[in-house]
Amino acid sequence: MTISVDAQQKIDAYLKILRKRLRGLSDQDASDIVKEIHSHILDKAAVGKEDTPGSVSSALAALGSPEELASQYVTDDLLARAQVSGSPWLVLQSLFRWASLSIVGLAALMFSVFGYFVAGSFALCALLKPIHPQTAGLWLLPDPEDAYSFSLRLGFSSPPPHGRELLGWWIVPLGLVFAMGLVLFTFHLGLWSIRKFWHPLRGLTLTEAHDE
Amino acid sequence: MTKRLPTDLENAEKWEVQLRKGSLELAVLASLWEGRLYGLEVLRRLENDSDLIVAEGTVYPLLSRLKGLGLIESEWVESDSGHPRKYYWLTSPGRQRALEMARIWRRFSASLSDLLAPLGKEKK
Repeated sequence: MTISVDAQQKIDAYLKILRKRLRGLSDQDASDIVKEIHSHILDKAAVGKEDTPGSVSSALAALGSPEELASQYVTDDLLARAQVSGSPWLVLQSLFRWASLSIVGLAALMFSVFGYFVAGSFALCALLKPIHPQTAGLWLLPDPEDAYSFSLRLGFSSPPPHGRELLGWWIVPLGLVFAMGLVLFTFHLGLWSIRKFWHPLRGLTLTEAHDE
Repeated sequence: MTKRLPTDLENAEKWEVQLRKGSLELAVLASLWEGRLYGLEVLRRLENDSDLIVAEGTVYPLLSRLKGLGLIESEWVESDSGHPRKYYWLTSPGRQRALEMARIWRRFSASLSDLLAPLGKEKK
């Protein structure tokens, strides 16, 4: 099959973006996908009378954007790898992807972000205690409504007027241990939710027969 | 403020989308039942033998997922067209899965058909 220069350029441009967007996958997997899509485009374009740039264009259009196509592969790969990995970063990345696909994913992401945020705050507080010995720590504050509330303070502002600091220097070891525990817990919760609720065949994007 | 309720037709369409999504895995596995096919052939079978019009950009990642699940296997084969094609076939877990899904589908569809039989007949 011969193919015009113009059509060839269109195919190359499409595959180039696809390849670029498939980063994160192993080289072998990415090359394999690009090769398969290339093969598909050639077959599809040759189905028409002749391989005019038009038939190549319609073959490319039918595939959808290379970004969208790549994203489906990358999401699958990411979530599949996260399931068997021990990397909190990979799990968090996967949750971000998953969150854009489903409510469960969004909930898992929100829990995780909250967990890491609280853990980070405690770790930061523990680390800042030596620098702000008078103000950093876990404080008990009187509430206007005769109740108490807790406040974790990093110590950059002046101490609260009627507050009482609870842990003193214990915030350093306790804060760090609690932060580490919470990081582990959040990580395992994220991993568990992916293993339990994510299924590779859900979250598929289908175009319907009638939206041409 | 009045909230526009989705029409019956819109609801029916949404329901149909879910049905199609749910049956796509079975459809792809079934398309490979009789032998190996490459991606575009799978697409054609889905279009010709069923009403499942699937986005082309969906089928390839889907095949890759099914492969990841160990239900299908693939191999590059040189062709007369001048470029190689990636052929897929069912693994033995894939065949089992397809059989099992088909069995569930038939049973479900048969029981529902009995229930649906009187529908649309009351007017005459």
